[in-house]
Order: sequence, then structure tokens, then C-alpha cells
Amino acid sequence: MKKLYTTLFVFSLFAIIFSCTDVEEELRGVITTDITVEGIASDSGGGAGGDALEGAFSQLRNTGSAGHTNWYSAQELTSDEMVVTTKGGDWYDGGWLIDFHKHEYKPTNPSVNNNWNSHYGAVNACNELLAGGTLDANGTAQIRALRAYFFWRLMDMYGNIKLPTSPGSDAAQSTRAEVFAFIESELLAALGVSAISPSMDLSGSALGTAKDAYRLNQFGVLGIISKLYLNAEVYTGTARWQEAHDAADYIINNGGYSLCDAGCSVPNPGKRPAVSEDPDTLTGYAAVFAPNNQGNPEHIWTVKYDAATAGGMNLAMMSLHYSSQLTWNFDSQPWNGYSTLEDFYRSFDGDPRQKMAFIEGKQLDFGGSALLDYATDDGDPLLDYTPYINELYPDGCRECGARPGKFSYSQFGRPDMDNDFTLIRLGQVYLIRAEALARVTGDWNDALTDTNVIRGRAGASLMTSLDASSFLAERGREMFGEAVRRTDLIRFGEYGKAWWEKNPSSADKEIFPIPFDAIQASGGSLTQNPGY
Amino acid sequence: MKIYMKNKLYLYLCLFLSGIISAQQITGVVSSDDGPLPGATVLVQGTNIGTSSDFDGNFTINAESGDVLEVSFVGFKTQEITVSGQDQINVTLIADQALEEVVVTGYGSQREREITSAVVKVDSGEFNQGPVTDPIQLLQGKVAGLTIYKPGGNPNENATIRIRGLSTLGANTSPLVVIDGVPGATLANVDPMDIESVTVLKDGSAAAIYGARGSSGVLLVQTKKGSIGEAKVSYSGNYAVSSIANRIPVLSASEFLANGGTDIGNDTDWVDAITRDGTTQIHNFSVSGGAGNTVYRVSANVKEIEGILNNTGYKQLNSRAGISTSALNDKLKIDFNVSYTKRDADRGDERAFEFAQFYNPTAPIYGADSPFAFNSAQYGGYFESLGLFRSYNPVSIIEQTRNTRNSTDFNYNVNAVYEVSDSFDITVRASEQRTTSKDQLYRPTTLLFEGNAVSPTRRGLANHGTFDLSTQVAEIFATWNTSLGGDSQLSITGGYSYNQINSNGMSFGLGDFPDNSLDYSDAIQNSQDLLNDGYITANSYASPDEKLIAMFGRVNLVLNNLFVNASLRREGSSKLGADNKWGAFPAFGVGADVNSMFGLGLDKLKVRVGYATTGNIPGPNGLSVQARNFVYAGGGSAGGATSLARAANPDLKWEEKAETNFGIEFDKGPLSIDFDIYSRNITDFLIDRQVDVTEFGVDRRWENAGAVTSKGWELALGYDVLDTGTITYNTNLMLSSNEVTLDEYPLDLAQYGYLGSPGQNAVTMVRVKVGSPLGQIFAPVFTGVNPDGSPIFKDVNGDGNINSDAGNVLQDDYDGEVIGSAYPDLELGWGNVITFGDWTINAFFRGAFGHSLINTFRAFYEPNVPSQTSYNQMNTNLREPSLGVAQYSSLYVEKADFFMLDNLTVSKRINFGADKAIKDAIVSFNATRPFISTSYTGTDPTPELFDSEGGAEEGNIADGGAALLAPGIDRRADYFASKSVSLGLKLNF
Repeated sequence: MKKLYTTLFVFSLFAIIFSCTDVEEELRGVITTDITVEGIASDSGGGAGGDALEGAFSQLRNTGSAGHTNWYSAQELTSDEMVVTTKGGDWYDGGWLIDFHKHEYKPTNPSVNNNWNSHYGAVNACNELLAGGTLDANGTAQIRALRAYFFWRLMDMYGNIKLPTSPGSDAAQSTRAEVFAFIESELLAALGVSAISPSMDLSGSALGTAKDAYRLNQFGVLGIISKLYLNAEVYTGTARWQEAHDAADYIINNGGYSLCDAGCSVPNPGKRPAVSEDPDTLTGYAAVFAPNNQGNPEHIWTVKYDAATAGGMNLAMMSLHYSSQLTWNFDSQPWNGYSTLEDFYRSFDGDPRQKMAFIEGKQLDFGGSALLDYATDDGDPLLDYTPYINELYPDGCRECGARPGKFSYSQFGRPDMDNDFTLIRLGQVYLIRAEALARVTGDWNDALTDTNVIRGRAGASLMTSLDASSFLAERGREMFGEAVRRTDLIRFGEYGKAWWEKNPSSADKEIFPIPFDAIQASGGSLTQNPGY
Repeated sequence: MKIYMKNKLYLYLCLFLSGIISAQQITGVVSSDDGPLPGATVLVQGTNIGTSSDFDGNFTINAESGDVLEVSFVGFKTQEITVSGQDQINVTLIADQALEEVVVTGYGSQREREITSAVVKVDSGEFNQGPVTDPIQLLQGKVAGLTIYKPGGNPNENATIRIRGLSTLGANTSPLVVIDGVPGATLANVDPMDIESVTVLKDGSAAAIYGARGSSGVLLVQTKKGSIGEAKVSYSGNYAVSSIANRIPVLSASEFLANGGTDIGNDTDWVDAITRDGTTQIHNFSVSGGAGNTVYRVSANVKEIEGILNNTGYKQLNSRAGISTSALNDKLKIDFNVSYTKRDADRGDERAFEFAQFYNPTAPIYGADSPFAFNSAQYGGYFESLGLFRSYNPVSIIEQTRNTRNSTDFNYNVNAVYEVSDSFDITVRASEQRTTSKDQLYRPTTLLFEGNAVSPTRRGLANHGTFDLSTQVAEIFATWNTSLGGDSQLSITGGYSYNQINSNGMSFGLGDFPDNSLDYSDAIQNSQDLLNDGYITANSYASPDEKLIAMFGRVNLVLNNLFVNASLRREGSSKLGADNKWGAFPAFGVGADVNSMFGLGLDKLKVRVGYATTGNIPGPNGLSVQARNFVYAGGGSAGGATSLARAANPDLKWEEKAETNFGIEFDKGPLSIDFDIYSRNITDFLIDRQVDVTEFGVDRRWENAGAVTSKGWELALGYDVLDTGTITYNTNLMLSSNEVTLDEYPLDLAQYGYLGSPGQNAVTMVRVKVGSPLGQIFAPVFTGVNPDGSPIFKDVNGDGNINSDAGNVLQDDYDGEVIGSAYPDLELGWGNVITFGDWTINAFFRGAFGHSLINTFRAFYEPNVPSQTSYNQMNTNLREPSLGVAQYSSLYVEKADFFMLDNLTVSKRINFGADKAIKDAIVSFNATRPFISTSYTGTDPTPELFDSEGGAEEGNIADGGAALLAPGIDRRADYFASKSVSLGLKLNF
């Protein structure tokens, strides 16, 4: 009897235990589905949409609009504006920075790869939002336009790209002309019109008109489409100057934006009390890019950056010498990378914007004393940024090259800066209208009026004549450091020309290669661009 | 290798009878085949009366006629002798193995001859000696195919353990540790002195019974148990002094100046300034004994370890208690073990080594010694060379930083076996292990390195972190045995296993403290970051209930001299995709005692073959679903949305390893040979791979993608060279070789292992190519120096164009070659034991051949870069003084073959007599790594099996945790290797 009980007990024990085969996974502390939280003090623009849009708009930061290795690097380091020289043991980094400068980039270039990944990540964020079905008409219009903008960047860089429009689905590789047509149709749809024309009526657009530079309103989207048309000839072989002009014209006439001029100023967060040369306030052109440039009347569409809550603008770290930490009391040591090509710096000679755009000359610390670099390579420990750069490789001197300082630096700044980064601003729109008009009429002097508006605001002497070359130079002075130079040089046919430590490059280089990793991962659905 | 003692078997028992009935004194000698046995236990059964034999095997005990004397000794079969009036009883004990060595094999044990898989048991007598602080060191070099590498001498770092090389990329590469039957245990929770034996399950057919976690092999650890008799008290201790084993030469102050270095007027040896001769103390006390049907053992171990880097080391208390008893007429046997480990570690900062290597040798340690005015008060009195990239006074770092980890491990396990009948028993097992640790890091306001001493607003940094891990195991299994007549028998085991792991942790960091008057990590409320937006970093997580549930069964069949073993485990894991959670893992093995079968007259000749499939699960949880990050709207506004951080893979399934093993075991006279050869095919391996970002929205995802093949062999030779009775000499040689080839991979070609900052970001060093072995170190081939100081590289493909920029390494026309392999071709362990009377000499040699290391110290700091006049340079015999550019190439890839005397121990046994307070003692002298032969110029030629900096480099693409794909990199931050000498003492009371 006892044996029976024992046996029964044992079998029931086994039975109970064997039934316990639940291996479901219940995650803790991981967000596994999309959630959005509407803000109480929402700063969302364009009416509805709200903070649900932030996941997509934050991708402007993730794509390196003002950081190292992504969009900013690709636009600036391949152009005649900026260079990162190899400084002895520093900044060689496998040669990709030199390859950018010399236009010898290959499909394995890390920045070429990073740009591809981050921009498609941005496209995916837009696609997720659109697929979620939670957006109102305005939100949908904004996100479609934002996605079109990311596609525009991808097309500008890689030419023949994929156009995925829903999350988790692949798409075939499109030609550049097909991509152009898609972007154009998306932007026009957001604007609620079938074409850009002087007489267009935007009343059917789901986009708003209220000013909010962190979101897209009608004028922001017009700014994007005007840039698209301005470069249409490069993308498709067919020029669209008139539409570029009309879109810019509409913004200037209807947007209610104004250039930041003499009456437009902010306190200077970079002011050292002991240094009298530091202005107390930043006025006009300088105020547009200041650390406290939020809400500047010229801003149409910007990337929101904030040292604490919206990081990713690292221009101070990327460019300044290690010792410059003591000028601004940064809490981190800068990296001594990006500097300006001497010829480009010289193109500012006599222009008031030179002083606003660059850090140059002998450097003082916070208290006004000379700033010393004990590891100096010129025998003089005083840190002195010279426009002259000795060489690209292998021993670029550590204090050579004027440093970009247009998006100016704050005292006690963090590695992440506060300055909002301008994507579309009224000054740029003037230049688009000027150029488009000149291209339509075939006479560069037709660009004088708008160009002089810009020069006048900056305090520069007014011009009396213009040609393509002097217009491009003026565009360089006004738009320096705003990540537009590569596109501009290509449009003006200057990208393949020689400049300092750079030989002429072939037309193939105007489009980046599709990244090696992307081609490998695509399973044959991506074809490499010609010339790589 | 001679794993089992091979005594001939015979029983010799003499009973001298006499008629005395009353209590009397009995004397006698306990001996074995080889002579007297000191320390054997003699006990009057059922009482606490007991004694031990002295050095000559003599014992004296009071007993009455009719009493039963139990005579026992570890490794021998216990004898019972009934007293019937005799006053002298001599006992010859028979070695246990004589009655078939029993080997624990997981959910049971098997007689050694019946095992059909590659299993090696190492007993405590064969362990490495000296100041062993980490249990795995006991086995280093002792088992062919078990590699244990710990580059550098960091006392707070664990060794990397691999059985038969790399068996997975995305899952656990370390073997499963099973302590007293409890799978998933932490080795650090056992003191080396408490380990009785370790059984290594090398091949799949042995490990398959552990299913999911058996793919990387299994270590079965048996702790020491008590034995019936009077309480035995023993002490063992060790005092060791360790020092730097090998320095990397740098320019002296005068050479530095002659080379154009910036003069700061002093002469400082920075490595000397941050290192010391570290002392280590180890003390172990144990009490064991037992009476009736109960035995116990209690031990306490205290360690105090100083690393060679100042302010690194730890103090540890480890205690363990075990009791075994039986009830219900001995039908129920219960073991209960509990252990507790507490460690207080000073982790210091090993990056000080890096800075010490290249800090200006003319710089002073303290600001007061600076030749120019220097405000050193801001830096706590230390000198700092400001304005340099990544150059920090290493003495300041190591003396000012507080970096501690306080951890505790608590573990208990209960094991109950109920004998339902003679042929059927049921085992129930429950255990829990809890680990908690607390990290604290404080960088004072006066520390430049990460303490931001130069900043007016961000001085000081305090980081805190906690981590909790609990592992619960519940298992039940039953075993049924039956004799099939003669030597044949059948044994069937079936059971169920439930494992649950939970972990959670949190960390935070904040800074900006008022002054340098106290350690503000203990007073974080004073941080001004509490008032500043966004400076405080904080993080917390909790794992899901990570479950692994299995049903398993095994059949062992013995048909005279033929042995068949088969097992099947069906296992489910919570980590895998919904439809792929369960996998089945079969194993099959056949062995034959050829010697007995054909009457060859050898001591042993056995052949065996085994085949098994085992599984592996990914490390992280939650990979089958997507993960998202919340993105706040920022800029002071509320609200926000999420963005995709990781793409889901609902199809994620088991990685499978199929392994075939063939082995021969041969013994004749003094010679023994064990040889194993194996092949492993790992398919569907788990990896965090690059995917098409246009489809998934992110460019990485965990997938089952790819396959590798691993082939290798292991040879163990043992030979009793000399045995004169007074002098014995036994030698063992172990050789092993293994190669892992990549058969399939998502990418045909990829590069891993970023060299890093300064200046060599985006420089990858290790090639991963389908169809090639893993661990290929790939580089441009250095051939000379241009007049401008830049390196000349070989035009490898002969196209007249040298394309050697590291960023182009994946290009077809890239000019680079495979310079070496990160993995050794051949690994060797050679043990020698010489005994001479009371003296024992134990010399253990270890070597690895054919592997290379990338010496990153040289890659960054050996080139004579003209603009780097404030950094010192490496000055090895490979230095090219005219080379002025730091650019990764074959110049920095070095052959790292080594052969070393790993462990030399000389010990003497002193016998004081059984009646003395101290019965006997062993005094030993030990030298660890006293001799090494290598041409490698770095600090340690030990293979680097994974990349210790496998994460993303600043400003570059994250390499997705591909640390395992980038072996062979000797990183700058690695702790320098150490060597030591020690004195040890063992006392039996």
C-alpha cells in the first residue's frame, strides 16, 4: 500500500512539473511598441500634429546635420570650405577625411556608410509615423514633406536610391530622375498644388502658415522645393529655374519673415568679461547663428539643438584646438579637427562676415591671458590660429587653419551646443531667388538686387556687377558652414576643379558610391554607381 | 596525461585475531599498494572516536571487541574491520579507481570505462599550485583543448575560458559551470581550496545532456566533502609577491630630449611611479568530520590581493558549509550546501598604464617640480601637461581615483536522492544563486582625467551602479538500472529541468562638486548638476524572467565490452521567437574496450566515437521583438515620441552545433596516451548582423545567419619516467590544435576591430572572410619609410597603385595581406612531478605557437611623429626611427609564440606525529611565470581571444558587439602582465 502511495506521489510530482513548460518572454523596461505623448506645453507648430512628430523631426539630429561623420561632414569636407588635416598621429582615421578632401572616396568610406544608414533610419521614422495612422492631415503633410527632404539628401548624395514608403518593406532601386519626380510630387502634395507658379493657391494645403522653425509650414516646404528645383538640372538634366524662383519669391512675399538686421540682437553667451574685444551682444548676421538664436526672425526651418535635451551639434569640439577649452571654459577638451581652407578664408577679406565666421589669430583664455600650447609645433607656445595650413598629410600643424566659428560658442559650453542649425532661412531664400532669376534671364546682374540685400544686412559694400564666379563666392560667404557647399559647387560645375591639396576630380565623384556594406546587405537589390 | 591514478588492484587484508573482549588499545598501520598512507581516517563506527594515521601510516585507537573500525582515505575505498580482541590491525586500502573510477557526467555518473565521449577529470592532487586566486587557474594547461587565457595581471579580471575554441559568435562562449550538480553556477563563488575535482566535458556527446548551454562545453565542479571521523582541522596559507613580468621599452628622458622632445626639466619613470610589488595573502581554514550517517565540512577563506598597479586589488571572504545526511532507513540521502562570498575590490584605472607609457619622461609628477610656474593646486598638487590630446598624469589618475566594487555571492543548493528500490531512484534538486554588486567611481574635482579639473563648472564626477543577478534551478530526475546478466547492464535516466535567471541594475553619474575636501561620491547631494539640465546620467533595467526549461532522457547500455550511450534533451528558451522557442538536442556515443575484447594484454585500449547536436541561445533578451527609444520633444517642451532602436526578428531560433568526436585511450605500463579528434559544424549561428536599412529602418538586427566549422585534435601523453621507491618522476604532455573556418556569413567580406583614437579611428585590423579561418589579422605590408617620414607599403596586387588607406580595406584593389592569425596553431602544456622522499618538485610549462598580436602601444606611440614632441615613444627593437607617421601596418603585427615555465613549486612534507597538536605540515615555495621565452615586445604574449574594446569608437560606426570577430588585439588599456613568487604552508591539526 505504502509503495502505491509513493509511486502515485512520484508520478503526480512529475506530472505537475512537466506541465510547467511556459517559456513566454515578458520584457520589462523595454519600449516595444510606438507610443507618443502629447505635450502639455507643446511647441508643435503648424496647428495640429503635436509632439508625435518629434520622433521623425529628431532624425534631423541623428543624421548629423551639425555633427561629425554624417551630413555636415559630407557637405563640408568634400568642398573647398573645410578640411581635416592629418596632424601627426591624430586625425588620420584610416584616410577617409583625406579621401573626402581629395575626392578619392570609395564605397567603404565610413561617412558614406553612416550617411546612408542614418538617412534611411530617418526615412523609416517617417514611414512608421505615417503607417501608424494617428496623424492628422497637417501632421501627415509635414511628415511626407520631411521624408521627401531626407530622400532629397539621399538623392543629392547617392543619386540612385531606394524609395521605401512603409516600414519593414523593401523597395527597388530607382533612378535619380525617378527619385526626383517622387520627391517633387510629395512636396507638391503637401503644398496642395499641382505645380509651383506665381499664381499658385496654397489654401488647399494641409500645412500651416504659423511660424515654428522646428516644424514644417508652407514656407519651409517651399524652401525645400526651391532647393530641389534649383538643382534640378544636376539631378535630371532638365533645369527648373523658374519654379525655384517662384517658390523663393512666394516665401519672401508671403512668409512674414525678416532678415535679422541692426535691430535684431541677442546677448553674447561667449563674452569673456575680461576681454573687451568680445562684444556684449551679437547683432544682425551673427545673431542668426548665435547659441541663443532660437526664434530668430530669419529662421524658416531649423534643426533644434540643445545642450541638455537635444544633443548632436558638436562644432566646437570638431574644430577647436585642445587648448581653446580654456577660452570658452568648455567642460570637455575639443578635438582639433575641422579648419577652413586658406583660399576660402581669403575670399572673405574685407568682408565683415569674416570676423563673424572664423576663429583666427592669437588666442586668449577666459581671463584675457595668452593661451599656451606646450606641445606647440612652431616653437612658440602661444596658441595662434593661422589661415595658412602647412600640409594635408602627414604632419598638418596643430594650430594651422582658421576655425569655423559662425555658429558661435558659449562660455561654459558643453560638447553639445545650443545653437539651432539653419536648414531654410530667409537670407538663403534671397540667394535662391537671386540665382534662379539670373539663370532664367541668363544675366547674373539680375541677381544683384537680392544679393545686395544680403550684403547690406551683413554690413558689406554693395556690389555693382556679378557673374557666376562672384555669385558663388558671395554664396560661399553668406552660407559658409551651413552644409550646402558640396551641392553648390556641383551646381556651379566647380566641384571637380582643383584646389589646395586637391587635384581635378571626375564627374562621377559628384555622386557618392553606394556604401559597400549596404550593397552586401541588400542581397543584390542595389547596383553601384558608375565610377566606383 | 595521466588523469586517473593507476594502481594495480588487489586487496590485502590481515586480521590478527585474539580473544580479548574488553576495551583495549589497538595499534596498526594503514597502507596502500605504494606504501604507508599518512592521514587516513580510522573511526569507531557509530561513535565520535576516531584518529588519523601518522606519516608512517601508524595509528592508535581505543575500541571494544565487536566494534567496527572504518578506515578511509580520499581516493580509496573505505574498509570496515570488526574488532574481535586483536591489539594490532593492519589495513591495506584499495584505490577507488580499482573498483572502476566513477566520473560525474551530469545527471548521474558513469564508470570511467563506459564513457563514450571526451571527458577529462582533474583531481585536486593534479591542480596548479601556488597563490591560486581564481578557481580556473587550477586547470590552466592541465586539459588538452581547454584554453584559459588571461592577458595581463589584473586581479579583478576573469580569465577567458574556451573549450575547443570558439563555438559561437552571438551566444555564450564560456563553458557551462556546474557546481555540485547545479548548472549555471558562478565559478568565482567557489574557493580554489574547496574544490575536490573538476570534470571537463569537452565534446558535444558529453555536454548534450545540458542542451542549450552545453555548446561551449561543461565544467563539472565537485566541492570537498567531510568524512566520518573526528573533526579534522586544517589550515593552508600563501604569501606571494608579484611584480611586472615584462615592460615595454620607452625612450629614457635623455633619449627623449635627444630626439627633440619637449623638455620639462625632470626625469620620471612613469611606469615605476604607478606600479609596485604587490603582496598577496591567502588563508584557508577548514573543519570537517562526521558521525553516524552525517558528514560535514565547513571552510573559510580569506584573501587579500594587491595588483601590481597601485591601488588595485581586492579583499575577499569566502565561506562554504556542506552537510550530507540520510533518513528513512538510508533510503533518502540529502546534501545541503551553502556558500557566501564577499569581495571588496579596488579596481583603480588600468588606463594609467597607457598614459604612463607615453607621458613625457621629463615631466614632473608634482607641479611643485615644474620648471615654470604651474598652478598645481587646481590639480591636487600634480603636474598636468595641458593642451595635449589625451595626455594625463598617470600618477594623478591612480592616486586620486576611487573605483570600487563591492560584491556578494550567496548560494545554496539542496540535493535529495530517494531510493525507491535497489534499481530505481529519484533525485530532486533545488538551488539559488544571488549575486549583488555595487560600483562606485569618484573622480575628484582636482583630477584632470575625467574629473574635469580644468573646467570651472564641471569639476568632479561620481558614478554609482548596482547589479543584481539571481539564478534559480529546480530539477527532478529518475534513474533506473537493471542488469542484463554478466557484465551487461542498462541504465535509463529521465528528468525535467527548470532554470530561471533574473537580473536588474541601475547606474547614475553626476558631477560638479564644490571642492576637494571629501569624496563627494558619498555626498552626492552636493552636486551642482542637480541644478543643471541634463548633466545627470541615469540608467536602469530589469531582465524578463529569463527561462530555460528542459526535458531530458538518457540511456546507457553496457554489453560486455561494448558501451552505448544516447541522450535527448528538448529545451525551450524565453529568448527566442514565438514559433522557435523549442529545440531538440540528441546525442549518441559508442565505445569499445578493445583491450578486453581481444585480450591484447594492455592496461587499456579503448576507442570511442560520439555525435551530438547542442544548441545555443543569444546573450541578450528580447531580440525577437523590436525595441524603441523615447525621444522627448526637448527644448523645455513636454511630450515626445519613440524611434526605432532595434529591429525585431520574430523568427529568431536556436543556433545548432553538430559535433563528431573520435577518441582513443591507451595505457601500458608507465605510458598512457589519450587522443581525440573532432569536427564541429555550427549552423544558424546567432549574430548581430548588418541588414538592409532601407527595409528594416535600422542597419543591424540579430539573426540566425551563417555557419562555421571547427576542427581540431587533442593529445595527452603521460609517462612514469622513474619510480625507484624513493624517487619518482612523472611527466605529462598535452597538445591541442583547433581551427575555426567561416563557411557562411551575411557579408562575404568584413573587417572588425577598430584601432581608435588618436588618428586611427575607422582603421580596422581583423578580417572576416567567408571560406577563411576566423581571426585573420589583416594589414598593409610595411616595406620601408619615405623621405618625408611616411611609410612605404607593398603593392600587393602589383597593379602599380598602392591603395592602402585603411578606410578602403574592403576594396578589391586594396593592398593588404593576412599578416598572422590571432589564434595559436598549437597549444602545449607540460607537467613534471618529481618526488624525492618528503620533497616534491612540480614544474609546469605552457606554450602557444603560431598566433600573432597587434601591439597597439607601438601602433600609436612608436612612430617618431615630428609634431608629437610632448609624447614619449615606444622604443622596442622593432622601432623604425625615421618613420614619422602613425599608420597601422604589418609593422605592428608581431608573432607572439611563447614557451614559459608557468609554475614551479618545491614543497616539503614535515611529519610531527599523530599525537602532536600539529600532526603534519607541507611547506612550499612557488614561482609563477619565472621564465618566459617570446619575441613579442608587448607586455604579455598570451593570445587575445576577443577584443576588450569591442564597442564603438568615437565618431565611428558601432561594430555591433563583434568583439569575438576581432581577436588578436593587444589593447593599450590592458593591464600589464605580472609574475610572482610565494611561500605556502599547509597544516593539519
